[in-house]
Amino acid sequence: MTSNKLYQLIADVFNINISDINDQSSPESIEDWDSFSGYMLLDELESKFNVKFSLEEVTDVKNVADIKQHLQNHGVNLDG
Amino acid sequence: MNKEMKLSEYLNKSKKIQVDKFTKKIRIAVLSSFTVNGLAETLCVKCAENKINGLTYTAEYNQYNQEIINTDSDLYKFSPDVTFLIIDSRTILGNHFYSPYSLSLLERKKFIETKVSEIINLMIKFVKNSKSKLIISNFVIPNYSPYGIYETKTEYGLQEMINDLNTQLANYIKKEPSVFLYDFNGFVSNFGENNVFNFKQFHFGDIRIALDFIPYFSHELMSYIKPILGINRKCIVLDLDNTLWGGIVGEEGFNGIKLDTTPPGNAFLEFQQNLLALNKRGIILAINSKNNHDDGFQVIRDHPNMVLREENFACFKINWDDKVSNMIEIANELNIGLDSMIFFDDDPVNREYMKKSLPEVLTIDIPNDPSEYSRILHSINDLNVLKITGEDENRSKMYAQERKRTDLQKSSIDINKFLNQLDIKIQITKADDFTIPRISQLTLKTNQFNLTTKRYQEEDIRDFTKSKDMIVECVHVEDKFGDSGITGVWIIKKSSKEEWYLDTFLLSCRVIGREIEKGILGSVIEKAKLEGVKKIKAQYIPTKKNKPCENFLSDCGFKIQDDYYIYNIENNAIKMPVHLTIKTQ
Repeated sequence: MTSNKLYQLIADVFNINISDINDQSSPESIEDWDSFSGYMLLDELESKFNVKFSLEEVTDVKNVADIKQHLQNHGVNLDG
Repeated sequence: MNKEMKLSEYLNKSKKIQVDKFTKKIRIAVLSSFTVNGLAETLCVKCAENKINGLTYTAEYNQYNQEIINTDSDLYKFSPDVTFLIIDSRTILGNHFYSPYSLSLLERKKFIETKVSEIINLMIKFVKNSKSKLIISNFVIPNYSPYGIYETKTEYGLQEMINDLNTQLANYIKKEPSVFLYDFNGFVSNFGENNVFNFKQFHFGDIRIALDFIPYFSHELMSYIKPILGINRKCIVLDLDNTLWGGIVGEEGFNGIKLDTTPPGNAFLEFQQNLLALNKRGIILAINSKNNHDDGFQVIRDHPNMVLREENFACFKINWDDKVSNMIEIANELNIGLDSMIFFDDDPVNREYMKKSLPEVLTIDIPNDPSEYSRILHSINDLNVLKITGEDENRSKMYAQERKRTDLQKSSIDINKFLNQLDIKIQITKADDFTIPRISQLTLKTNQFNLTTKRYQEEDIRDFTKSKDMIVECVHVEDKFGDSGITGVWIIKKSSKEEWYLDTFLLSCRVIGREIEKGILGSVIEKAKLEGVKKIKAQYIPTKKNKPCENFLSDCGFKIQDDYYIYNIENNAIKMPVHLTIKTQ
C-alpha cells in the first residue's frame, strides 16, 4: 500500500481527481467531505484494510495526514 | 443476494443519473427516527437501474411526528407517491428499551398499547392527508436482554413486548389497503443484528443501519417501489440440465441425473420446491433448454422425484434452437413482454448471450453451485405485487388451459368455428370492494390491449366509483376450458348528458383474440344509448406496446376527429359478436 493508493481510494469516495489530494486535504479543501462522508471514508478504509478504528480515532480525523497516521498505528504500511 | 456496491459508489453514481430518458416517475418520502444518510441517493440509483426517475424527500431526522401531524408540512407539500416510515425500537421504547422491567407487567402491557395507538394514529392522520402509499417498518427484537437466559421465562418480557407491538401493528395494517408493513425485523435477522447495528456508527452519528447495509436495505424498499409502478416480472424461464436437475440427461441418462434426497440432488429438489411455491401463487414457469425434446420430457413426465410437472409449465422449448429465438417465441406464445421475464440458466455463456441479445429479460447471475439456487431465487425482488388476487393464484392453471385452447385452434381451420366451440361467457359488473384491487392491478399491468394506458392506484379507482359522473366496470370471462377471471376494465367519464368519454379501455392479453373487446364495447354503446347519449369520444394513445389495439376503434365504427375517435350513436348500429354470451349486472 502506497500513499498513492490511499489517495486513489479517497479520490474515489469523494469523486475527485487524485491530483487534488495531498496530506493536507481536509473538509475545508474538499467540497464533498463533510462529517457523514468523512465517516463513510473511514468505514470503507476499515473494510479495505481489515482494521477497526476506535470512536476516538474516528472523531479525531481532521485531514488526510491524520488518516495516514491512524492507518500506520494499526500496522498498515503506507511506504511499501 | 448478489453482493452490493459500497455506499460511496452509490453516492457517486447518484450524481450522474440522467433521468430525462425515463418515462416512469415516483416521488419517494423517507421519514425516520435516526440518520439514514445515503438512503435517498441509493434509492435513486436503484430506480434509475429500473428506468424510473426517483424523486426523494428525506424529512429532518426524528421529525416524523410533526411532519405527519402538521398538514402544511414539507412532507405533504412534496406530495409523495410512496412514503417509508422507519422507526426503530430504541426510539419507540425510549428508556424502557434498556430497563423494561422497571415497569410492572401490567404497565408494560399498557405501555405497548399506548405505542401501538400512537403509530396507528399517525397512520390514520397520514392516510387522511395523503394519497401516498405508506410503508411502516416493524420493530427489531433485540437479541440481548438484561434478564439474560431468564428473558424467555419472563411473562411479557422485552422481546415479547416488541413481538406483541409488531403483531398488533400488523393486524391494524392488514385492514388498511394503502398501508403496508415492512418486516424490518426480518431484514435484521436475515443479515444479523451484529452486522446491521454498529455501535460505533450509532455513537458517531446516530446511524442505526450500518452504512454497508444501506444498499441492501434499499434493495428491500425497491420491492415496494417496483410494484407501485406496475413493474413486476411474471414468468421464470428455466434451463433443464444442471438447473432443474444435476447432470446432463442426454449423457447420463434418465437414471443418471441427480435429483433425490442426497447431495447434490437435494439442492435441485429444494430449488424445484421453491419454484413450485411461486408457480402456485401465480408466477408462470417455462422451459428453454437445449436437449432432445423426448429426453427432457421423459424426465418431466416420469421421473419419480420431479417436483415440477407438465401442468406447472405454460410453455416448453426443449430443442436445439437458439435460446434467444426460443425466448422470443415463449414471449409471443404467452403473450407477455420480454420485460416480464426472468431467465435462469446455469451456463454463463447462455446467460451472457441472453443479456447481450435481450437486455429487457432479467438474466440472473448464478454461481456454479446448485446449493445457492434457492437463496438467489429468494433474493429476486421483481416478483412482488401489492396484492395477490384470485386471478394470480389461478394463473398457472389458466396458462395450462391456454395451451389446450391453442391446440384446439390449431386443429380448427375456421376461426369462427373455433370461437363458437369455445362457448365464451362474459359477465359485466360494476367496480366494488372485491374487484377494485384487481381493476387497479389491470390498469397498472396491461400494456398491449390498452387504448390509453392510464395507470390507476386502488385509491384512484375507489374515488372514481364514488363519482356520479363516472362508470367503472370490469368483465369476468370464462369458456369451456376454464375461468379466466376478471380480464377487462373500462372507465367512462360522462362529459355531458350527450357525450361520454372512454377514459380507459383494456383487456388482459390472456383473453385477446376472441372478440370479447367488441362485445364489451357493444354493451357500453347500448348502455349509452339507453341513457340518451348521442356520441362516445375515445382515444388511442400509442405506446411502444399497444399496437394490438391500434385499429380497434375504427373497426368498431369510430371515426377519427382531430386527436379523438368519435362514435355517433344515432347513425350507427352495433354488431355484437354472436359467439359470446353476455350477462350484465
